[in-house]
Order: sequence, then C-alpha cells, then structure tokens
Amino acid sequence: MVPEKKNFSHNDLDTLRSRVIVERDRVTSTASTDFPHNYPGQDLAWDFEKFKESFKLKINKLSKTEMEFDMIGIDAAVANAFRRILIAEVPTMAVSNVFIMNNTSIVVDEVLAHRLGLVPILADPTKFDFKGKEETPTDLNTIVFKLQVTCRRNPNAAEGETDPLKKYIHANVYSGDMKWSPQGDQAERFKECPIKPVFDDIVVTKLRPGQEVDIEIHCEKGLGQDHAKWSPVATASYRLMPEILINGEITGEAAVRFQKCFPEGVVDVVKENGVKKAVVVNPRKDTVSREVLRHAEFENKVKLTRVRDHFIFSIESVGAIEPQDLFVQAVKVLMDKTGTVKRSLQSTLQAE
Amino acid sequence: MNAPDRFELFVLPDGVKKLTITPDTKIPNAATFKIEKEDHTLANMLRMQLLEDPKVLFAGYKMPHPLDHYFILKVQTTPDTNPAHVLGNAVTELIQTVGSMKNKFEMDLIRARSDASKVDNGEGEDLSSHQVDMDF
Repeated sequence: MVPEKKNFSHNDLDTLRSRVIVERDRVTSTASTDFPHNYPGQDLAWDFEKFKESFKLKINKLSKTEMEFDMIGIDAAVANAFRRILIAEVPTMAVSNVFIMNNTSIVVDEVLAHRLGLVPILADPTKFDFKGKEETPTDLNTIVFKLQVTCRRNPNAAEGETDPLKKYIHANVYSGDMKWSPQGDQAERFKECPIKPVFDDIVVTKLRPGQEVDIEIHCEKGLGQDHAKWSPVATASYRLMPEILINGEITGEAAVRFQKCFPEGVVDVVKENGVKKAVVVNPRKDTVSREVLRHAEFENKVKLTRVRDHFIFSIESVGAIEPQDLFVQAVKVLMDKTGTVKRSLQSTLQAE
Repeated sequence: MNAPDRFELFVLPDGVKKLTITPDTKIPNAATFKIEKEDHTLANMLRMQLLEDPKVLFAGYKMPHPLDHYFILKVQTTPDTNPAHVLGNAVTELIQTVGSMKNKFEMDLIRARSDASKVDNGEGEDLSSHQVDMDF
C-alpha cells in the first residue's frame, strides 16, 4: 500500500486515495478511503501478507527520553490509537495520597499536595498492582516516601548575604528531598534500581528559618485517563510526511526565490548546464507553511501534498519509562483491548 | 463534590457485559454492537478494520454521549456471512497487525541501538542521516 512517487500531472484517483492535498486556502482529500468497493479495479481488501510486505518502520532518533520513528503503511486509526494509548492508557506510578503531619511553609497544604502529585516517579509499574478503591495499601501496590525538611540559618553565611540559598540551609525543598522508605520486601525487590523521583531538582516549596514540612507520600499505579500525573509521556504525536511536487522546471533566479519559500535544507538549487534549477531534496524538513502558494509566479508550478499513510511519530517520555519500552507497552495495551473484545464476542455468541 | 469518579471511564462494573449484540429488525445481516468502557481509540480502529473487509457493506460507530463510557458499532454485511463473524475476523486481523508492528519495531530498535552505540553522548544520536529505505 506504499504509494508510488507521484508526478505533478497525476490528479487522479490514486492521488486522492494516497495523498492529503494542501491547497492555498484549504486542505482536501483528508479522509482515508482505502477500502474495498471504493476504487474500480483495485482490490483493497485487507490481507496479512500484503500488510507485512508493505508495512515499514524505521527509528530516526533515540535517546533516554525521546524518540522519533517513521511508520509507513498503516491507517490513521491505528496510528491514532497508539498516540491515545501512549498518552492515556500506559500505566505508571504517581503520588496519589499525601499525609501532611506538619506544613508551616508558604505553600498551603492542598497546593503542596498537588505539586507533589505531579512529580514523576522512577519506578517500574509492571512490578506493582493496581490498588482498588477499597483495598488497603500493601508493598505490592504502594510506594512510600517521606519528606521531612526543616529550614534554619546557615552559621557559615557571609555577613550581608542576600541569596536565601546561601543564607539559609534548606531554603528550597526539592523533589530529591523525598526519601524512599521501602515497605515489606521492596528494598530487596528494587535493590537494582532504587525508587526515587525522576528529577531531583524540582522545587516543591520554599522555606524560611523555623519553617518545616513533615509529609508522608503514598504512590500508586494508575492511568493517564484518570489523571494526567499518571501519563508516561510529556507528549506523543505524529505528523504526515510532506511531499513537494514541481510541475516542469523552476530555473534561474526564480529557483532561488523558490528555495527561500521553504525551511533550510528542503530545496536545493543546483546548476545544470550553467542554469540554476530548484530540486526538492528533503521534504521531511518542510513545515508545510504554504508560503510558496502565496506567490503568483509559482501558481500551477508547485503542488503540496502529504503522504496519508506515512506517519512521523514522536514520543517524548517523562523519564520514568524509556520511550522504546513505552511503545512496546502501548502495543501490549492495544492487544489486550482487542483481545477483550474478541473474548467477550465469543462468550456472547456462546450464550445465545 | 459531585464530579463523576474518573475510574468510571475504564472499570467495568459487576454484572455489566463488555459487549452486547442487537440484531437489526429491519435490515438483513445487520447488527448493533454495544461495547462498554471503551472509547474512540478502539472504536475507530474497529471501524477501519471492518471497512477493509469486502464483505462489509456498512460499518460506523458513535459515542452517544461524552459522559457515557461506551460506544455503539453498526455493521451490515453481505448475505454469506454475519456481523458477529466479520467483527471476530476484524479483531483477529487487528491483533495480527499490531503483533507484526511490534516485531518490526523491536527489530529496528536493535538496529538503532547498534548504530547509536558507536556514538554514545547521552544526548541521543541523530539517525536521520540514514535515509529511510523506501521511495515515495
């Protein structure tokens, strides 16, 4: 199903099927129509072998927190399902109960509790169970942190010091001050990777001498659907591959003006027999700003489209789970989802 | 507070069936499926997969109300099969699709890792210089 490279004159059914067309004032041919009976003479029925043949996946960037990959040959419904699942349905651990013994800081209790809730926790959620509403906390479903900080004057501070961080000790309470207190056999189970906040330098509140916070924090497993603090990603998104089609040739000084309509690296100006000529080299970098469509001189000379089944997918993890593991977990969630439907369909049919 | 519990989105209450089938009384080979505690994520995928089946004449879904956490899926098929059967096929096909995606992803992850291990600066390596091996 990977579409052939189009030339400009093709404004045929195949373009409408495989491309989103970007015009000056509108975007057309947006909906997927890759279905049987839609195009005469084309068999678009789903076939697993055909899918395996045409589906391509390629990782472009990979780091501890971010990844970008190309997914080619699937419908937007599947790509969108992955995006939605990554944002809302891959479980993580997050602070859910905050027991405040003492809080004399400037931040009021409920705001402090909310701020603690948003601190990402570095713990493998697959090693924990979901805690039901009526269930009591156990070492299998809860992580406990203690946050006990008191501020006092720094006896070694220089006279006339104005920076509170130097003048006082513990002027800022950081996420790194949250001390994990292992319950049951947690110390044994997690000795390879001790549980802690992902970042140690998130300011939770500020203190002045004599003020203190004394807090016990309980973390539970949850889903982003429930509250955004359980979302494992900062963002998961995709865009379609841009495509720039030139009708005939754009030569001379027009080629340079044409190049300037696009971000750097998208269009190159090459010399052919001493004549400058515009060539599209890397449409991936295009932002599809449509600047080129504003110029009368390029009217009917350029066409902007996007490849409907080429998704440039990007995952930016919050840090608790690495992005490549996130995608694999999203696949498992999706399989569970469809599996549930399959099983309940079978049991419903048997009952009848 | 009178906010609805957020877990109502995904926790199936006792005695509620995940999936119910209501055959259409007026149209032949047509049925309405009601699937509880699922949203657009699954519904749109099922609709798409059903439409790729040549034996499906119609497939569409809707979420009747944003505060009700279920969707209905209407399917009409050709006379030689029935809606429950094509839905079963669609689900099987989806599982296959996703399974093969996972394999390809893991294969490419190994490739990307071995490429990245040559330059490990913690910043993540830009592999985009390697052209995607396809024509478009």
